[in-house]
Amino acid sequence: MVKLFGSVRALDELSFQVEEGEVYGLIGPNGAGKTTTLRILATLLLPTKGVVKVFGFDVVSQASEVRQIIAYLAEEAGAYRNLTGYEYLSIIARIYFKSKRRAREAVDWAVEASSLGDRIQDKVKNYSKGMKSRLQVARVFMARPRLAILDEPTAGLDVIHANYIRRLIRDYVRKHGTTVILSSHNMLEVEYICNRVSLINRGRVVAEGSPKDLKTMWEASNLEEVFVKVVGV
Amino acid sequence: MSSLIPLVEKEVKDLLRDPRIYIGLIVPVVIMPIIGFTMSAATHSSIESAVGGGVKVAVLDLDKTQTSLSFLKFANTTGLKVFEVKVDTVKEALKELKGNDAKILIVIPKGFESKISSLEGSTVALYFEVKSVGFGEMSAFLAVDRVVKLYSKTLSDTIISSIKPGINPTVVRTPLNTTSYTVIHDRILSMPPEAVFGQLFMGYGIMVPVVLMIVSIMVAQIAATATAVENEEKTLETLLTLPVSRYEILIAKVIGSTVVAVLGTLFSMLGFALYFRILFPLQEISGSAHLGTTALPAPTPQMYLALCLSLLIAIFFTTSLGVIVGALSSDVRISNSLIGAVIIPIMIPAFLIMYGDVRSLPLALQALVYALPVSYPMIIAKNMILSELPVEAVYGIPYSAGVTLLLLLLTSRLLVPEKLLLLQHKILTRRMRRKGQVSEK
Repeated sequence: MVKLFGSVRALDELSFQVEEGEVYGLIGPNGAGKTTTLRILATLLLPTKGVVKVFGFDVVSQASEVRQIIAYLAEEAGAYRNLTGYEYLSIIARIYFKSKRRAREAVDWAVEASSLGDRIQDKVKNYSKGMKSRLQVARVFMARPRLAILDEPTAGLDVIHANYIRRLIRDYVRKHGTTVILSSHNMLEVEYICNRVSLINRGRVVAEGSPKDLKTMWEASNLEEVFVKVVGV
Repeated sequence: MSSLIPLVEKEVKDLLRDPRIYIGLIVPVVIMPIIGFTMSAATHSSIESAVGGGVKVAVLDLDKTQTSLSFLKFANTTGLKVFEVKVDTVKEALKELKGNDAKILIVIPKGFESKISSLEGSTVALYFEVKSVGFGEMSAFLAVDRVVKLYSKTLSDTIISSIKPGINPTVVRTPLNTTSYTVIHDRILSMPPEAVFGQLFMGYGIMVPVVLMIVSIMVAQIAATATAVENEEKTLETLLTLPVSRYEILIAKVIGSTVVAVLGTLFSMLGFALYFRILFPLQEISGSAHLGTTALPAPTPQMYLALCLSLLIAIFFTTSLGVIVGALSSDVRISNSLIGAVIIPIMIPAFLIMYGDVRSLPLALQALVYALPVSYPMIIAKNMILSELPVEAVYGIPYSAGVTLLLLLLTSRLLVPEKLLLLQHKILTRRMRRKGQVSEK
């Protein structure tokens, strides 16, 4: 796909395919096109050129069908400050699930997954950044999406919260086989949870493969080294 | 539309729990009675200090006759504290005021008694020294003026009775009287038209514009802030990826903002009601005429329905404008500065209707007035007691509904990040350029 913002070419014939049940990582520097790619997948932006399909549904002509099967987490996404964490989850669950019982079960699951305990009844404005992230990731998986799109899910978090979020994603995917596409600056994190990754630079995929294959191919000890070698900085 | 309920719940809860909103709702209820009470207490104490214990009045009696003395005695019996100054000129008498802590001087001219006796009429001069500005000052002057007029009436009664004993002096003084009636819908009301207009003006001329003004500004402000906060907190981004239509998101925002704005209006009206209630006894003290509450013919149910419908359409119209402003603002500060510039000009034509005749306006201005949905509640309110809906409203209500629906549809189309991001960036760049901070982007 190609995405132009005026004269700026944000995505330059970027292309990739993700298999069902895979955790696919997009890694690259700021401005590489990671967020734009995820926003197009989440039906928020339109590609200037090219075709993007999610489980066979076109993100432009079948956007409402795509929204039925995805859940999206924007980078540093907030929740409604004056609602409690529980109310926020409950409102989102009632949008996804038409049955009251299923919505309640989903909320119960998300409360458990977020590990916020009694704080789930506090207003979101009283949450720390880490607590908000836990609530948001729980919200995403609560919807039982076929595809979870996570933009920098651990950005700006301390080690404890970042580790919790990583484990939550990995455990959920293992148990439910959900497909996940996430972006990250943190190459170690990507290595930890992704089956395959794309290294993106200036709107193009410059390398793709499993972390292990990429490291072998580029004779590097970690993905950071791979990236430096690929981009040549 | 099953997603609408949780979305509306989200809007209402999030808004009502926002301190910026609920403090705004509570403030009129608390502040208006306090202002009313403070004004009432201050005015009462001001009047009390001016007239309480009797108004002190200096008198320069240049006539020194039985009639002038009789006037002084009469004035003393009415509660005024009259004292005579023993000087020869008005200038000297005015100097005496300062030393005696008085503000009012009555000058009885030479020839006072003889002119009254010869039916030529005499003039008593009242001098009022202004020492401060307040209700109390005026009350003191009015009290003295009333006493002089009362004495004049007593004198005229005596003179008329002496000329023709047994005659009613009042009939001689006012031989021609009028009884006013007002005719509405062939119904004759025994009340003067000014009383009818007074009631109508207070009811439909003041209340409807005030309600419309408060609700419209509040609803637009709330909708704009709520939407701008969604942009700021990136919740709109999440909302737009949920399996709900843009139209549902917009309708939920319109309903949520309207509920909160209606609540806010009720609180404001309660605040105003308490304010007037507290100040009401003041009107009786200052002697203003209290217009009776003679029942006017009630407007027809069709008129009420038309008024409510047009108000609702006008509110939805301004809410949509609020959502547009909020959606185009990347943060709350931008939305707050834009909303006034959008809403206030839209309200001006509505006020032209209330205080003037639309048909006498230039054609372009008439077209502007009729083009805006907020004009129609005013047109209907102005004609509320007429039996038939004004012709402008007959066509105006469906027209406004169409315009509002179109605006809602356009707004829902705008709720696409692709367009929003572009427009937000343009607005932000323009503002920064105006402030001389050209964006580096």
